[in-house]
Amino acid sequence: MSRLAKPIRFALAVLLVLLSVAACAKKSDNEPSGSSSQTPSSSSSSSEQTGGSSSEEGPDGWKPQSDLSKKVKFTYTSVQAIDGYDYTNGDPLAQYYSSKFNYEMDVAALNWDNWNERLRIWINSGDMPDVAVYNYIHADAAAFVEQGLIKRLPDDWKERWPNVAAVYERTTLGPQMEKVFGGTYFLPRARFMDNLPGDPLPNHPSIFIRKDWAEAVGFPIKSAYKTSEIMEFARLVKEKDPGGVGDKLIPIAENTNHAVELFVARNSTYWNTFYKDKDGKYKWGGASEDTLRGLKLFSEAYRSGLLAPDFYTVKNEEHGAYFNVQGIAGATFFQAPTSNLQTYYNDFKNNLGLDPYENIILATVLGEDGYYHQVDLINYWGTIIFSPNIKDEVFERYMDILDYNATREGYIITNMGLKDVDWTYDENGNVVSLFDEEKEGRPLAGTNGKYPSWGYLLGSIILFDDFAFDNPNTDERLRELSKKVYRERTEIATPETFAHIDWDYYTYDSPSKRRAEIDYYTEYANLITQPGDIEENWRKWVESKMPIIQPVLDELNAKFGN
Amino acid sequence: MDNNALIRRIIRSKETYMLILPGVIWFVIFAYIPMYGLTLAFKTYKANLGIFGSPWVGLEKFEYVFRDPAFMESVWRTLWINLGRIVFTFPVPILLALLLNELRLQWYKKTVQTIFTFPYFLSWIIVASVLINFLDMQGLVNGVIRLLGGEPINFLGNTTLFRPLLYLTDIWKNAGWTMIIYLAAITSIDTEQYESAQLDGATRLQTMWYITLPGIMNTVVVMLILAAGNIMTAGFDQIFNISNAATAKAGEILDIYIYRITFQSAADFSFSTAVSLFRSVINFVLLLLADRICKMLGSEGLFPPIRRTARKGRAILRAGGA
Repeated sequence: MSRLAKPIRFALAVLLVLLSVAACAKKSDNEPSGSSSQTPSSSSSSSEQTGGSSSEEGPDGWKPQSDLSKKVKFTYTSVQAIDGYDYTNGDPLAQYYSSKFNYEMDVAALNWDNWNERLRIWINSGDMPDVAVYNYIHADAAAFVEQGLIKRLPDDWKERWPNVAAVYERTTLGPQMEKVFGGTYFLPRARFMDNLPGDPLPNHPSIFIRKDWAEAVGFPIKSAYKTSEIMEFARLVKEKDPGGVGDKLIPIAENTNHAVELFVARNSTYWNTFYKDKDGKYKWGGASEDTLRGLKLFSEAYRSGLLAPDFYTVKNEEHGAYFNVQGIAGATFFQAPTSNLQTYYNDFKNNLGLDPYENIILATVLGEDGYYHQVDLINYWGTIIFSPNIKDEVFERYMDILDYNATREGYIITNMGLKDVDWTYDENGNVVSLFDEEKEGRPLAGTNGKYPSWGYLLGSIILFDDFAFDNPNTDERLRELSKKVYRERTEIATPETFAHIDWDYYTYDSPSKRRAEIDYYTEYANLITQPGDIEENWRKWVESKMPIIQPVLDELNAKFGN
Repeated sequence: MDNNALIRRIIRSKETYMLILPGVIWFVIFAYIPMYGLTLAFKTYKANLGIFGSPWVGLEKFEYVFRDPAFMESVWRTLWINLGRIVFTFPVPILLALLLNELRLQWYKKTVQTIFTFPYFLSWIIVASVLINFLDMQGLVNGVIRLLGGEPINFLGNTTLFRPLLYLTDIWKNAGWTMIIYLAAITSIDTEQYESAQLDGATRLQTMWYITLPGIMNTVVVMLILAAGNIMTAGFDQIFNISNAATAKAGEILDIYIYRITFQSAADFSFSTAVSLFRSVINFVLLLLADRICKMLGSEGLFPPIRRTARKGRAILRAGGA
């Protein structure tokens, strides 16, 4: 037996080698065939596919620029991600994309409180993920570009990914920054593509008011209120407690950022920036009388208990839930993009058992002068940036995903889910929803939804705001209401109160300007929570900031002032 | 002592020198080599050029530092907060060690020691979360106040209460751990002294005051000097996690200032290195100053003279041998 052992072992080894060679040969035979074959149209579900194809072509003739047969792995970070969720295989939508584009994505979730800060640390330490969604701040952005901390896109990217390029042109910011930096480093994500609701573009945060409480306390129902009117409503609610909430009642539920936006930003167009005044000289918005007016109202609301005494401890925008989940708030100034409204209203209905269409007023907040105040939002939110160390194949793959999702079909999938499962085309080519939330017993998106991966995480260069105006998954009443709110903001404003962007200022960069970056939210909240007269505190604060503000004013006036 | 004699002495005591070798290596790798990064304070940092390749700009960054009034404010605030820390929190572990040393039931002593030490192992994030849950307007403490018919107190947003809150949480978290150092020092006190004191009829308070406390005084002095040398550094994690928009100004110590200018606004590593260098220089000066003051007051300070220590060591060895 032992004499036979050696030849048997040898024979087995030879057999194994032969089998391995045969298997490899079979695999390599398959690869070119797969690459050259015309794969199913991009609309088909490919959840069982192991990989895409380099010549994959959609019905509109869309073609990838990378070899989809080769699997890529990449890291990604963004706000709004679900911590720990599997964005590669966690649900059929995630599987559809990861299978179609043959990738594995490792997502680092950021939240609203740590987004800017953590990403800034990662970028500066040369440790950023392959792809990131960056909240564009020009001073930072200029430093990143100058120091080579983010990738410069290849010069021919617009020809290779034309759908992304078309969106890029609509954002205004992209082309402007390209001029400044001499190349493309940032891909701004467009809020609107075809349905731009105004130029300058208004922002979406709105005041949500309990309509039933307003009626109970005799408060008028309108579509726009001055800040002081909101405070009047809060006073009435505080006095009469129409909801019978008791000790837990919060007349106006806010966190630090939204409180500052409600009181200061709605009264002061340039509350957090420098601006060119009518005399042609640059001024600092922090020192303007409008800002003081907003701060006085903010202070009054805080001191009279219309805001929660510890509103500044609210984390992660939980204040929105005080209104639509807990039902303990009379009003909240909160995010109101059209795409989120349905979920917000549904939560209101499911948690409070009330009809949101009958019990919520969604309105615009005006300054005390009766006008809407804001600086042009610029048609983007968040920019996509790439690590300077990203592999070309990963970069190309991600650009393919973005490009596909910028096609009509890709855009519908990112908004409505899988074709022929969640939506389809009718005989006239219109999009028809197949998703029934009531029947499904869960929403399309969100942690408890059908597709928790749904959102911008799967690679979007166009945000949901545009499609939301036409999305059949959103109740038509909400879509109409949202359009009206956007429209009114441009109507109830003057060119002075709702100003266009000053690109001279926006694109100006200097060490002094970088040093004058201030966290206005924290500073203003800090000011109004201090004891003493608010006007006196504000004057001292302005004085204390002048050593870092004045050099910027001097520079701006020397360069751009009249 | 010539070089040969020094080398001979090192070879003779090689076992002792081997013991300190890991510590020396640690310091060289993690404390001395990274010091080349301090050159950034005199350069404009460009990530693509690296620390060595970035261009020199002289004292330009320091000019910016001193132009910002928030910088000097944060320096003074750091000094005051940490001086308060020394006054209010430094004596607590000494007191705890003295009291714990007087306990006679061993199981009770160990239980108390474990309970006091446990919070040290919690991170400041956890401590801050617990604190917020306890002290916010809807928290446990205010719930009790409401039950008793009182008006809730805004603990977390009150700048007057902010520093006491820092000191109390510092004591709760760290006193038990620091106490161990003093308990260890107490074990090295010669027990004959206690027996003699007992024969002389000394009360427990007197033995504590005249024997235990003087017996650990050198340790206390060393800890005090180290605390003084750390006065511009301590407290970042704690304040970062406990403060909020209302107490942001009250809590902006130098480390928070550095963090803010580095990561919360447009990042400028050279600028923050300049501030850090300034902070280290102040820490170093304070360390030397505290050491000198302690020596003037009769203590041995951080670095006792070698000969005296050696002589004392030899005397102890002889006494042990006898």
